[in-house]
Amino acid sequence: MDSRVVNKGQLPELLDKLARDHTLIAPVREEENVTLFKKVSGASEVQLDYITSDVSPKGCIFPQTEKTISYTYTGDTLEMKEQDEPPKTVLFGVRPCDINSILALDPVFEGKFLDTYYLEKRKNTVIIGLSCSTILSTCFCTAFNSGPCDGKGADLMFTELGDKYYVEVNTEKGSSLVEAYSQYFSKGDTDKLAKAKEEQAKKLEGQFRRKVDLEGVKQVLDENFELPYWDKVFKKCLGCGICTYVCPTCHCFDIFDYVTGEFTGDRFRCWDSCMFPDFTLMAGGHNPRPSRKERVRNRFMHKLKYHLDRYNLDGCVGCGRCISKCPVNIDITQIIKDLKEVGQNA
Amino acid sequence: MHNPSPLTPYPATVTKIVDETGDVKTFTVEFDDPQVMENFGNKPGQVAQLSVFGEGEATISITSAPTRGKFLEFSVRRVGRLTNVLHQFEVGQKIGVRGPYGNWFPYEMMKGKDLFFIGGGIALAPIRSLIDFALSDQYRKDYGKVEILYGARSYNDLCFKHDLFERWPNCPNTKVYTTLDRPEEGWDGHVGFVPNYVEEVNPSPENKVAIICGPPIMIKFTLAVMEKLKFADEQIITTLEMKMKCGIGKCGRCNIGSKYVCVDGPVFNLAQLKQLPPEF
Repeated sequence: MDSRVVNKGQLPELLDKLARDHTLIAPVREEENVTLFKKVSGASEVQLDYITSDVSPKGCIFPQTEKTISYTYTGDTLEMKEQDEPPKTVLFGVRPCDINSILALDPVFEGKFLDTYYLEKRKNTVIIGLSCSTILSTCFCTAFNSGPCDGKGADLMFTELGDKYYVEVNTEKGSSLVEAYSQYFSKGDTDKLAKAKEEQAKKLEGQFRRKVDLEGVKQVLDENFELPYWDKVFKKCLGCGICTYVCPTCHCFDIFDYVTGEFTGDRFRCWDSCMFPDFTLMAGGHNPRPSRKERVRNRFMHKLKYHLDRYNLDGCVGCGRCISKCPVNIDITQIIKDLKEVGQNA
Repeated sequence: MHNPSPLTPYPATVTKIVDETGDVKTFTVEFDDPQVMENFGNKPGQVAQLSVFGEGEATISITSAPTRGKFLEFSVRRVGRLTNVLHQFEVGQKIGVRGPYGNWFPYEMMKGKDLFFIGGGIALAPIRSLIDFALSDQYRKDYGKVEILYGARSYNDLCFKHDLFERWPNCPNTKVYTTLDRPEEGWDGHVGFVPNYVEEVNPSPENKVAIICGPPIMIKFTLAVMEKLKFADEQIITTLEMKMKCGIGKCGRCNIGSKYVCVDGPVFNLAQLKQLPPEF
């Protein structure tokens, strides 16, 4: 693996150049202290010292709302226009948990039916990861084969070390970007920095307050669809759907038409939530998940079992957003713990 | 150029509309580009997404067999927002179609066997594609006796009357049993619920496959009868209905456990269904 060094002082200039030549998407602090990923025009808008974004960056590849077609329809005539090819994009400053979530989303949108909307954005996007320097009380990425400095899935992985960024060049895409902006990526003393990074990773890994052990949890879910435990968990759920909105691995979407004129309209797909009752409600009135009990169970089953069954990948990456945003403190790590206990007592 | 997008429908035209019942119509749809039909390759039991522009899309089973001709038929009950608009369609109107989606009836495995179809109400539509496939000139020799047992609440609620009373009974080695839930003036056929009629007809499970589709309550009681008649779980095949948006295993709402009905179904045999959590 190749590696480089970027001087901290030169990062703003690099970001400005990236924004000039590409669509640059980076963490931005908005009103009310909300941090999210947005298109920026330069370094001055980028919030480099963020810890975790309130909304995950998945929307850069799988937008919250996205037009699939525009149509002109008179009844007798029909014309449709598809999406344009997405622009060349650099997604800067992604935390390891969120990079891991993109790896979890990939197989959903690949497969027999290639989801071109996702895959073309994915293809046109260079992911620049950014190692964590602070571990929040809600963080538990280490439970899912990741860690605060894990560059897996990133094209380039930046780790802040003193007045430098240590940069791991993980892919062809990353390597091309380094070449194109070679004046910012020096060869420097990368061996020393690699060691420093390892030490930093070790130090940070010791700072996780949540100990999450998944051993045996899937087995409990494999063997038990009906558990009295679910009767308890769902009771405080309000069905607000914030967990699915902030979750970096949730991929459910709705498709709907928006009429723009007498004969014209757009078709969109937008994020949907399995927490909403009409998610599975059929026109005829039947609903296979009629109450919050079934819906809450489905969400945790999806994260801890179904995604693994289908793609052999964890459906959770331990970002902790659903824990910190849930208005009634439903905590997936507590659920993991409880399910383990249920398994041990069975 | 980028790849074709999986959620873009093909333009098509409604070429025929048949009123089946008070709230069911069958729409014949032909693609505007004949090449699309050539490559469509729908197999009996698959579904498609119909676009009613301005309303969105709905998953509807393809009720015609590919052996019938270069068109698709969709039987649609008027039950919600989109189907209400669809029911106001006129011949010649444009519609969008994408698909075919899902698995299909295991017609290869059924070769050499007798087929016993059981349907109730609108649910004859999804199995009609297989009935017509097995009764086609091309494939009739591959299957033994074909029996179709079908019931509805009233005479007016019977779908596909032309098939039931004229086309199918005249096919070789084919028998049609029709029943109404309640007696009705002018009806001298069988009266009674589908499960009871199945028990009366008493099909032997020997070298037979039963294909069942109907409202949940009909399925529930019919399965009890089938068990009594000693049909094995692998001999009982059904097709499920779920709310779907994408049809391609991505939008996440038609799952039963880890399976997506739109790609892993909609066709399951009873043995497979028993492996799934009871959430459908």
